[in-house]
Amino acid sequence: MSPFVFDKASILERLGGDEEIFVMMVDMFLQDVDRNCQSLREALGDEAAVLQREAHTIKALLATFSDNAGAELAQTLELRAKTGELADAPARVDVLLARVAEVADVLRRLSVG
Amino acid sequence: MHKVLIIDDSEINLTLIRALVIKLGECEPVLFDNPVKALEWCRSNEPDLVIVDYMMPEMDGLRFIAGFRALHGRTEIPVLMITANDQKDVRYEALLGGANDFLTKPIDRIEFSARVRNMLALRTGQKFLADRAAHLANEVAERTREIRDRERELIYRISRAAEFRDPETGAHIQRMAHYSEIIARGLDLDAATCNLILRAAPMHDVGKIGIRDHILLKPGRLTPQEFEIMKQHATLGYELLKDSGSEILQAGAEIALAHHEKYDGSGYPRGLKGSAIPLFGRIVAVADVFDALTSERPYKKAWSLDDAMRFLEDGRGSHFDPLCVEAFLAGWEDVLEVRQRFRDEEVPVI
Repeated sequence: MSPFVFDKASILERLGGDEEIFVMMVDMFLQDVDRNCQSLREALGDEAAVLQREAHTIKALLATFSDNAGAELAQTLELRAKTGELADAPARVDVLLARVAEVADVLRRLSVG
Repeated sequence: MHKVLIIDDSEINLTLIRALVIKLGECEPVLFDNPVKALEWCRSNEPDLVIVDYMMPEMDGLRFIAGFRALHGRTEIPVLMITANDQKDVRYEALLGGANDFLTKPIDRIEFSARVRNMLALRTGQKFLADRAAHLANEVAERTREIRDRERELIYRISRAAEFRDPETGAHIQRMAHYSEIIARGLDLDAATCNLILRAAPMHDVGKIGIRDHILLKPGRLTPQEFEIMKQHATLGYELLKDSGSEILQAGAEIALAHHEKYDGSGYPRGLKGSAIPLFGRIVAVADVFDALTSERPYKKAWSLDDAMRFLEDGRGSHFDPLCVEAFLAGWEDVLEVRQRFRDEEVPVI
């Protein structure tokens, strides 16, 4: 998978060019990312519906920052959880978590800098 | 200020939507991360727009919309549901379940603003129409009241016109109308009927307009032929008022025709007996005779209340419907109050 490229122009375009909302979104993402990852990890031991929902949440988070590749990973996991194909779920969760961590890193550097 | 209810279990989405809604201006966002609590809030609060996420734990967007639409007065309020692009089946279901439109995730500000503005414009239109409908209903009620007041006034004035040609006074028609109402209440007639007889009874003698002065105003006793002519006032009054579209005038026609009938069939003009006499006629007969007896006339002194009461009692079953006499006597306190209120020298308007 290609590395996450931070495409501020595309994100801003979706937010109507509003820097203020953009900054707010980055802050929210960083604030919640650990909790979201924790929930996704725990969902592996729960019902498929829970895993489906947590994957869905992550999908929305990544899509907010125009990470199409990451959002696609989350969506695949979400759909497989929905149809009950859970054999490779732990592996998929690991990949997704790594991707979220990568995005978070980029955003963190950005917000510090 | 538009109240915009936003329901999403993801905090980042709540924050984003809230920020976007505030940027639109004229909007007050109300946030819930729990759809069950949001639905509870909707029981006592009326949002102008609902923005609800589809996928939430406990209650998904579809179930929220179903619950929301089931609340009283919430069928028209616009609802936007947030879904991902790939959830086509969910969108169809939401449309059938009462969503007005959709927002796609990730949220795009241009699309978001346009759709929210459209929904709020729809809401503004709805409210305008509702206000206008309420305003018109008020207006109609007000005009109807004015017309009814004018109808009452005209009836009173027509009734006075007949009385002007008669030794009887304006106060007489007021008193006998109120006595009639007292009897109607005593007979347990409903409030609308009691009011109807109060408004219609003053017309009982309106047919006297058609009786020539030398008979109507004759100071002495009428000859049998003259009395036959005098009796025509009942039918004349009926002819004058019948076939009216007004409920009050219709009642007036019935009263004019029937108020000289006697319970034993010896009255006029039709010689009806007992319950064949219209009830309003039986009621007004008691009220009219009582007031005539207890009023002073150029040709007679006023009877005492006791004598008049005895006359009514003696006339039970012959002249009068016994139930009407009973109802009248049962309302004696009110009768005295009416006598006090409408004296012959002063005539307050009904």
